[in-house]
Amino acid sequence: MSLIQQGIFGLVTGSYIAIAAIGFTLIYGLVNMLNIAYGEYLTIGAYVGFLAADSGLPLVAVLGLGFVATAAIGWTLTKLFFRPVVEKGPIPLLITSVGVGIVVRNGVRLFSGNELRYLDVGQPAVYRFSALGGVFVNTKQLLVVGTALSAFVAVHLLLTRTNVGIAMRAMKDNESLARINGARVMRIRNLVWLLACGLGGLGGVLLGIQTSASPTMGFQQLLVILAAATLGGAGSAYGAVVGAYILGIVIEMSVVLLPAEISQLGTTVAFLVLIAVLLVRPGGITGQEVTKV
Amino acid sequence: MSDRLFETLGRLRVVFDHPGLVGAGVFVFGLVLLLSPLQPEIPGGTQAILQVALLFLVYGLLVTGVNLQYGFTGLVNFGHVAFFAVGAYAAGMLTASDPFAGIGLGLHWTVGLLGAILAAALLGALVGASTLRLRDDFLAIATIATAEIVHDVLIGFESVTGGNVGLLDISQPVYDLANGDADTGLIVTLVLYLGVLLAVFALLTRLTSAAYGDVLRAIRSDELATQALGKSVFSYKMQVFVYGTALAGLAGGLWALALGAISPGMFTIDVTITLYIAMYIGGIGTHRGALLGLFLIVGLRLFTRFLNGVVPLTQTQFASGRLVLIGLILIFIIRFRPQGLLGDAKELGLDS
Repeated sequence: MSLIQQGIFGLVTGSYIAIAAIGFTLIYGLVNMLNIAYGEYLTIGAYVGFLAADSGLPLVAVLGLGFVATAAIGWTLTKLFFRPVVEKGPIPLLITSVGVGIVVRNGVRLFSGNELRYLDVGQPAVYRFSALGGVFVNTKQLLVVGTALSAFVAVHLLLTRTNVGIAMRAMKDNESLARINGARVMRIRNLVWLLACGLGGLGGVLLGIQTSASPTMGFQQLLVILAAATLGGAGSAYGAVVGAYILGIVIEMSVVLLPAEISQLGTTVAFLVLIAVLLVRPGGITGQEVTKV
Repeated sequence: MSDRLFETLGRLRVVFDHPGLVGAGVFVFGLVLLLSPLQPEIPGGTQAILQVALLFLVYGLLVTGVNLQYGFTGLVNFGHVAFFAVGAYAAGMLTASDPFAGIGLGLHWTVGLLGAILAAALLGALVGASTLRLRDDFLAIATIATAEIVHDVLIGFESVTGGNVGLLDISQPVYDLANGDADTGLIVTLVLYLGVLLAVFALLTRLTSAAYGDVLRAIRSDELATQALGKSVFSYKMQVFVYGTALAGLAGGLWALALGAISPGMFTIDVTITLYIAMYIGGIGTHRGALLGLFLIVGLRLFTRFLNGVVPLTQTQFASGRLVLIGLILIFIIRFRPQGLLGDAKELGLDS
């Protein structure tokens, strides 16, 4: 496999990680919460996508439904389980999310079983570039990267050009100050949760189209998402995107650059990068205070 | 009826009031049983219970260790399973005589057990020195990442660790001394490990009821104030972290030497999650609470396993249902009784 080919795979992997990492980091910025249940939003999205594709809906509807349904389900879970414990602090919130993750993951397995579900969106067309040594891309990969780019633009416009987005950023910096200046805190909080869960669902549909849906698929991605968000500087949406693409490319490149036996350790390399970053520059790429003493 | 029950439970307190003495007694009893010509037989059908009992005893060492770190000192070690795994694999690689794949040096089991403790403590010192200055939630990330790296390495380096198959043919000293009689081996192993667990329990109780424990609790509630009082917070954290990881190494060594075969599937993040659920159910920051919580969660696992025979569901559905239940228990405990069954809400600063 050539380096260029692996680079393309890296962009694809980075894309769905990035979509999810933005959502993860939005929640972190809002309530200081490491949401261990975040991976489950990807799973929910993928299963919703499977059901939608199975009933013959067009691709756009599959993606849209994955976003909307996951946003609704995720928001309900928040209302039921997270909001009552927000005041107890970050660690009880983290442990609660572990519990919610277990419940959702196994709830899905209870109803759907362990078998893989394939999202049928038609056979992808493949484009080969013989000038570049047989490098190829297919339409599924283009779909993932294209959707990711549109999502980045949308989130960027939301955060910078709308009053809601400006209020979101203000609340992240200082909630009391934002409240005094007229931000409707509860409404903004709800919106952030809806957006974050929806993005998780969208990432899940894309991952499901790339591979398949299974009860543990989201949980398996959780640590990489978490690593991407931390790498970018927890709480920063732009940092999360950068972190996700760095990880995606590192993971896929390590397949060719490392000796065969170690090359399965792509994600391991990602975590090594993460720990190294935490040690050298604990605030991630965008820089934030994360040490105490 | 209930009076008599409480009376019996009251007598059980002797065990917790003098755990060191009882532990030593249990251990000696185990040795006598091992060297005597007696060959106890396990009644059919109780094999499953005894297997779960072994799991409880080994996880007991894990939960007391992570409780010392998180429960007493507030260090969010979310990668405890890594040190358990390193201990198990150190013991495995040192003592296995003919592993199917991977390294086996065939050394004596004492070397294996010592190596298990040292390897885990060494990794603990390394991880601790580099990450203990991070804020709570980032310490959680760093330790989760450590556990993930260890797990991936166990699978990836097949020629060293045996990959997905794991290590086979690890030395089983107790079974060897029992002349290969499986029933005697299992029973003696349980008795001996119970002795070890009680001894560890005694040691940790001494440690945390001394002034040392007060410093740990002070760090948990206010790090800055403790620092201001002239205590070297970092060195206390470091010590506690290494004690906990060494204990996890011991647990891993005992696990490998009891089973004779280990594989990466035993060392997933689920182990760490089980430990935290146990701590929260029983009560953060009490040794008894942690063990009680573990007992309940392991008991639930056993109980539902028996239930599985009666209810018309597939194995997968049943396992999923049980985990849904466990997740819900965790959520509701944190919401409605965050101090757990035996914890002290006032001391944990939860009643404000």
